[in-house]
Amino acid sequence: MNAHRLSSLLVAAVLVPAWFTGFPSAAFSGVKLIALPQRERVEIQLEVPGLTLIEEERTVPLAAGSNEVVFAWANAAIDKSTVQFRCLSDPDKVQVISVSYPPNENALTWQVSSPTAGPAKVRISYVIGGVDKSYEYRAEAGKDEKALTLWQYVELHNRTPEAFGESDMFTGYGERLERPVGANETRKILAARFDGVPIAKTYTADLAQFGFLDPAKRQLKIPMHYVLKNDATHGLGRFPLQPGKARIFQDDGHGTSAFLGEDWAAFAAKDDELKLFIGVAKDIVVTRTIEKRDRKQTAGPLSDYDLVVKYEIENFKDAPVTIDLAESMNALHREVIGEVQRPVEWVLGSTGSLKEQDNAKSTSDRIVFRVAAPPRGADQKAVKKTETLHVVMKNEW
Amino acid sequence: MLHSPLTLAMCVLAVAATAVGQNIDMSTLPPRDSVQLTIYNGEDLTLVRESRHVTVKRGVNSLQFSWANTLIDPTSVTLSLGAKETDLELIDTRYPHDRPQVLYWNVESKRDGDAQVEITYFTSGISWAADYVGITDAGDQSMSFDGNVTITNASGEDYEGAQVRMVVGTINLVEKIRDLASRGALPDELVQTLVYGDRLRDMPENARAAGRLMLAEKTKDIGGVEGLGKKQIVKEGLSEYFIFTVPGTETIKNGWSKRMRLFEGTQVPLKTVYRFRPSEYGNQLVRMFLVRNDEKSTLGSTPLPDGWVRLFRKQATGGLSVVAFVPTKYVPIGQEFEFNLGRDPQVILERVGKRNWRDDFWFVRNDPKKLYSPDKGDRVEPTDKVSGWIDHEDRVERIRNYRGESIDVEFRFGIDGDVSFKSALAPTLFDFHTPDFKSSVKAGETKELAFEIGRKQGTSAKQNAVTLEGK
Repeated sequence: MNAHRLSSLLVAAVLVPAWFTGFPSAAFSGVKLIALPQRERVEIQLEVPGLTLIEEERTVPLAAGSNEVVFAWANAAIDKSTVQFRCLSDPDKVQVISVSYPPNENALTWQVSSPTAGPAKVRISYVIGGVDKSYEYRAEAGKDEKALTLWQYVELHNRTPEAFGESDMFTGYGERLERPVGANETRKILAARFDGVPIAKTYTADLAQFGFLDPAKRQLKIPMHYVLKNDATHGLGRFPLQPGKARIFQDDGHGTSAFLGEDWAAFAAKDDELKLFIGVAKDIVVTRTIEKRDRKQTAGPLSDYDLVVKYEIENFKDAPVTIDLAESMNALHREVIGEVQRPVEWVLGSTGSLKEQDNAKSTSDRIVFRVAAPPRGADQKAVKKTETLHVVMKNEW
Repeated sequence: MLHSPLTLAMCVLAVAATAVGQNIDMSTLPPRDSVQLTIYNGEDLTLVRESRHVTVKRGVNSLQFSWANTLIDPTSVTLSLGAKETDLELIDTRYPHDRPQVLYWNVESKRDGDAQVEITYFTSGISWAADYVGITDAGDQSMSFDGNVTITNASGEDYEGAQVRMVVGTINLVEKIRDLASRGALPDELVQTLVYGDRLRDMPENARAAGRLMLAEKTKDIGGVEGLGKKQIVKEGLSEYFIFTVPGTETIKNGWSKRMRLFEGTQVPLKTVYRFRPSEYGNQLVRMFLVRNDEKSTLGSTPLPDGWVRLFRKQATGGLSVVAFVPTKYVPIGQEFEFNLGRDPQVILERVGKRNWRDDFWFVRNDPKKLYSPDKGDRVEPTDKVSGWIDHEDRVERIRNYRGESIDVEFRFGIDGDVSFKSALAPTLFDFHTPDFKSSVKAGETKELAFEIGRKQGTSAKQNAVTLEGK
């Protein structure tokens, strides 16, 4: 089996007597090896995660009549049930009669019938393990944080000892890529670039989701997000954005950039938003307290709870900001009344300053308000803005 | 830079990219033209940006970049071709799995000649930390307050003539740079050796403080600290962060630290207050210094990063005495911040219960739904059972002030249950179950801050909140 050492993948066309039905190892040991066809073209299809399909084209010399074509591999995780043989040059006449799988060997033998003797161009396809892809993103926002440039990179990981050579790759989206693929290497390729992608910068105060920055002082953690929309209006929308790590930089105004943070970008279908958590805004201070908890017995064992949540907002930045102020009713129930035994029935009360919720973002559990916070004054002191959320939790027992 | 573990080598021949790495002809080893370090204090992360000149030939050029025995994150290494280099195109980046800490860039050039390239990457092992020194006047009315930053390089790489920037803020990282750097590339013991700063980071606060001081002393001894430099650090905001830029360039060798002055505050007004807030400061009356980070206080040029504060008091003899070594959290410009000096032996708090009594009893007989109240004129029987009542407690916060000046005291503590809080101290509610009240105690005075707590019990308890009542 010296031929195995030449390559981890081997396709051999073997002339054997028509009555021969033995396994490849027997065939190799007893017959003459007449050809070792080289790969002429390779396609790597990476559309489906975990199922990478290799398609390779070779020219195989065939004799008239029945031919045994052996396909064997070493040190490669090929699913032998997926290996296919198709003749490209004369598909109607050159046909696979049967496939034999020898025991305990990484090999198979096609019995191929050909009406004439001569070379046949064939395509061999198989699913291979150890070859996959991942995505990375790099974004650079402008100094004013209104728009960014987004680079999408695809990384092809070949963890096999097989060098595929010049390969035509398709990741499922975007353009096809042609690159050499060597053994045991990762190749990072720029897949797409998007310029002038508008960004929305958001600040969120949501105890249930992000917790406290300083629990003792009831100071909420205020994460900052960049929100991109994957549609043509927002400079994207060419294809769904695949999950991957996104690293975000910003033009620092001095000809260089600074790193702002990174996040795992989730899958974003067309028209969906991509929300990237960049970092924590420490110059926006939101202190949250429960100002009122008043139980009112209504009928028999039933009670309503009057709850007032107070937010004291201080913006220590030089510019005004808008904050998404969010409250989870289930979390509020657990905090103030106790474990949630049944879906929380609640309505907005009349005394709170927060009345106009953001309907697009609010749900039965989470209510969201958009609150503007002015910049700090000329004396450098922040204006303390107080907002109250009045909620009545009804029919509790 | 031949001693540097970072190398950029180049194959000048147009080669088949898959063959690169097996027969590389290193014809040039271009040195750095310039290097910029952007160091983050919230994470063990430094962004390094260096520019180099390389010589390219028409065709595909392969650039090899290697970083043996450093803490560089290989996934972060990026090659940027200058805007003027329109004849060059980066085709792809290749990471051979059998050769850790090396990568190859395939760059196609339409011409022969020189080209300027910029290489950026993240490295672990370089850190910076702020620390502050405050010296109060004898009466604790004001203080000088100086901020310093100390940069420590334990990355395994020397950075000579580097522009240094420090970022204040909390960025989001989804993976630790040290983990990415050492994943399959560095032996653990080497990582441990390199990352001295990170070991400090993992320690408890007290130990970190001691470690930083120890580190400062250590570097001072070996001459790593060039004293408190007179360079005026430039401060500017960027997104949610603040960037401190050290003017000019600095050389920061591996294993060394450098400490620089961040700002100087003079005659910073101090407000002293005593606070009892168990949820914030533990079950004790603590002495606080309150300072505002604004121009009026001769501060306010920059947010104050997290760091340790060493507070001293100037003695009449000219010497200093230690007031406290305390940590401080990030302080935005314009915000008031505090130093918790701990318990003051000259101000004593006694929390005293003066009297307990009960009233407003309710009784239940056979029908559990019907309650009887003697106060309402109902007759009760010896066999009736008590179902509801109010527990009353008269309490005082007794403060003995042995200091030579009047002090302000503030109380804030939570009370569970259906509670009424009566006091002549004009209390307010911090939240639904936390009264808040203030007073002052003259020099040498013993003062009792009195209040009454009425706690509804049994069937009388309808709420879990504190109601304020005048007295």
